[in-house]
Amino acid sequence: MDILAETVNTAVLAKGILVGFGGMGPAIAIGLLGASYMAAVSRNPESAKFLGQLFVFVAMAELFGLIAFASIFIIK
Amino acid sequence: MFSFFASEGPHIAIAPEKLFNIGGVTITNSMIYGWIVCTLIIVALIYGVKKITVNGSHGPAQILDFGVEFIHSTTANSLGTQERARKYTPYFATIFFFVLINNWMGLLPFVGKSFTYDGTALLRPFTADFNGTLSMALVAIILVQVFAIKESGSQQHLRHYFAGSLFNPLTYLIGLMEVFQEFTRLFSLALRLFLNVVIGEILIAIFAYLGGALGFLTAVPFTLMEVFIGLLQAYIFVILTVSYLSVALSHSHDSDEVSA
Repeated sequence: MDILAETVNTAVLAKGILVGFGGMGPAIAIGLLGASYMAAVSRNPESAKFLGQLFVFVAMAELFGLIAFASIFIIK
Repeated sequence: MFSFFASEGPHIAIAPEKLFNIGGVTITNSMIYGWIVCTLIIVALIYGVKKITVNGSHGPAQILDFGVEFIHSTTANSLGTQERARKYTPYFATIFFFVLINNWMGLLPFVGKSFTYDGTALLRPFTADFNGTLSMALVAIILVQVFAIKESGSQQHLRHYFAGSLFNPLTYLIGLMEVFQEFTRLFSLALRLFLNVVIGEILIAIFAYLGGALGFLTAVPFTLMEVFIGLLQAYIFVILTVSYLSVALSHSHDSDEVSA
């Protein structure tokens, strides 16, 4: 591991992994939310009024991706 | 601009930067812009309130009218009754306009490195300061508790956390976890607003840097996205506080709660 740390800038690797995996979860979550919203609207067009609620849950899922993104500035 | 940034990359600051001290209190750039925006909001609202009439309003006051109406209908939907909505709308409309105008004023081009004081930016959006959003969330959570205690009495309110039989030890365990959930709400409210704004700023800075000489063009899509996100975050801050309040005010203890 010492040789790896000397030859490769591991901080850059860590940042890449952090952003990649940190963005993956919220991306899946937002996709699922959108899919369920579309399914709900196509089953019952009256449920289109829940768009505001959808955005609330999107923002909840998004928070974790943002935490991962903000954490890359801690890594030196 | 390109040659200035070429060596070191874009200037990224997660925390607000200190400018000077007044009697031991550190004044940061976020605080200064927060005060400026506060003054502007107060002046604009006093001006706007005089323009609103019963017969409908004209000009810029219409936006104000529409915003308050929107928050009122959201509150009424969530809290159930019109009386409650009329009672609590002033607070929610205040935080909505405060967050919204702070988010949008932070996107103006002169905020950032245009005005500097001792090499640090003089202006920085207020919502891009974790202390600011944390204090806003703290006020929101404490006010929800105060409203709930006023509405239903402290004993009834405590039964919200410690629902179920008092002779069951599990009640106290679950109740403690419910109490800790308030802290989760506090930090998620504060972190959500702060991170959305500050990462928007960073994204704009990075893409303006990547664009080089055409930086003013490559930053445009992200600035437009931030305009939308600023509105969305203001709405979400309000609707989450409203839903916390509606959960705290409801007397059925098996209602599904909005967590995180």
